[in-house]
Amino acid sequence: SPTGDSWGIFTFLCAALCNLPALPALNCSEELGAGQSIQQTYDLTRYLEHQLRTLAGTYLNYLGPPFNEPDFNPPRLARAERVPSATVDLDLWRGLTDNARLAANYRAYSRLLCYLRVLDGQVGTAELRHRLAHFCASLQGLVLSIGGVMSSLGYPLPAGPAGPPAPPGTPAAPNDFLKKMDDFWLLKELQTWLWRSAKDFNRLKKKVPPAVVTLRLEARGF
Amino acid sequence: PLSVSPAADPAVISPQDPTLLIGSSLVATCTVSPDFPLKAEDLYWTLNGRRLPAASYAALGPSTLSVALARLNGSRQQSGDNLVCHSRDGGILAGSCLYVGLPPEKPVNITCWSKNMKDLTCKWAPGTEGETFLHTNYTLKYKLRWYGRDNTCQEYHTAGPYSCHIPKDLALFTPYEIWVEASNRLGVAVSDVVMLDILDVVTTDPPSDVHVSRVGDLEDQLSVRWSSPPALKDFLFQAKYQIQYRVEDSSEWKVVDDVGNQTSCRLAGLRPGTVYFVQVRCNPFGIYGSKKAGIWSDWSNPTAASTPRSERVAGGCDPKGGEQNTTLRRELKQFFGWVKKHAYGCSNLGIKLYDQWRVWLQKSHKTRNQVGKEP
Repeated sequence: SPTGDSWGIFTFLCAALCNLPALPALNCSEELGAGQSIQQTYDLTRYLEHQLRTLAGTYLNYLGPPFNEPDFNPPRLARAERVPSATVDLDLWRGLTDNARLAANYRAYSRLLCYLRVLDGQVGTAELRHRLAHFCASLQGLVLSIGGVMSSLGYPLPAGPAGPPAPPGTPAAPNDFLKKMDDFWLLKELQTWLWRSAKDFNRLKKKVPPAVVTLRLEARGF
Repeated sequence: PLSVSPAADPAVISPQDPTLLIGSSLVATCTVSPDFPLKAEDLYWTLNGRRLPAASYAALGPSTLSVALARLNGSRQQSGDNLVCHSRDGGILAGSCLYVGLPPEKPVNITCWSKNMKDLTCKWAPGTEGETFLHTNYTLKYKLRWYGRDNTCQEYHTAGPYSCHIPKDLALFTPYEIWVEASNRLGVAVSDVVMLDILDVVTTDPPSDVHVSRVGDLEDQLSVRWSSPPALKDFLFQAKYQIQYRVEDSSEWKVVDDVGNQTSCRLAGLRPGTVYFVQVRCNPFGIYGSKKAGIWSDWSNPTAASTPRSERVAGGCDPKGGEQNTTLRRELKQFFGWVKKHAYGCSNLGIKLYDQWRVWLQKSHKTRNQVGKEP
């Protein structure tokens, strides 16, 4: 509808203008700032998903068969529970508040980043170390991006360590084979989380109302 | 499908994560935990995803199954071969990583170079032509020849996978002993010790400010000028330079080797109207009186220039201008000849002036092949 188009155009214009550093006087709403960040975070999860495909392929080949077989499905032993799971009941997921949704993502990626960094220190080949380092840097960017969204919406960042190399209370794998299993599940959970985050951020995107932004533009005589 | 046991792993394999020499044999056992209702006959083995033949199994107890592996090949991946004990339905009960390979061989061909006497980078080659199949760690060590303790290099892979960089605290005038230790799960091998003096392996930055320009209208020449690398300007050394140049669409470089110590050179015998790429490099020869040549720097970034293309048949003279000069000269000559004839009183002066003028005329026209006529 024509009316819908002009709202869209107004939103787009404000978004574009907000990105110009030469116009500090334009008072874009905080909601719009969050809208931009949500879009960026969404884009980051898609990019990371793509990067993970290559990284996982290389890493699983390094672990060797059966880890790199497409139908490999080992038991999820108790010790593997330390990696935060993305799997969640659908109704529960739908019912999450924005704050809870963002916080779950923030906590999960902070922990996953810790585990990945430990991996980086131990892994064998130079090529793998290089890929892992690159992925960790991108993942760190995602954590910061989610933090940015939370701040711009006025939510407090979840407490807890995002820093230490190995989260407390988790023993190292008792043997090399179990460690390979841990690595496999880490990559699997990363993958699942990135799929889930894309849906989380898509949902959040739709909740940022463009109408609020338009009103402010009208008030400024656009 | 098994339920997750909070307390114990479903089974235990022995040996767990062993290291073995290529060609050796192994008997591994899988013992099911008492919490699990599985018997030896419910189990099977895989190695790197492939099921092992039942003929190699043996039941050593009600819940213990062994497998015999003979003449093992080198590990398929450096993270270890995956030997897995399964329950009948395919579920994984336990696994063990087998590291099968060879001990390392002595690293060889250690070569080092120092950039401007500030640091030292060394590279080497692993001794084995084939593979050891195991992850091998390399450590570069160095010490001053007659005293000092062993130092370990920290920054690896700076110039390829088998390289290390020592960034500081290097002494001059005393030789260093340098060696590389290779180690993997099966053993250690130490390279021969290389002895070198930092001053003998000095290299430097490529020359800076390389300019290539035409030589007037000469079609077959280009003039190359550069500055000596600034980092070594305070040290006594005779730099040696080399120039290489090529035509734009060719990959064959021509090298000019006898440039010596100068910071300029003229390239001759070039094609007219052609674009050339030129590079220069430097060797800090004989630094601090060292008798040896240093190490050539990298080539400077290519600089491009083109030789002029001639538009006239003959050389650079402008015939029109020449004609004008000849006419003027003739007229002047006639004038002075007349003065000489008719100025009796001032004839001496006139003659002297005229003679001086003739001398000047001859000097300035020497290159134009004009034969001076005696007055």
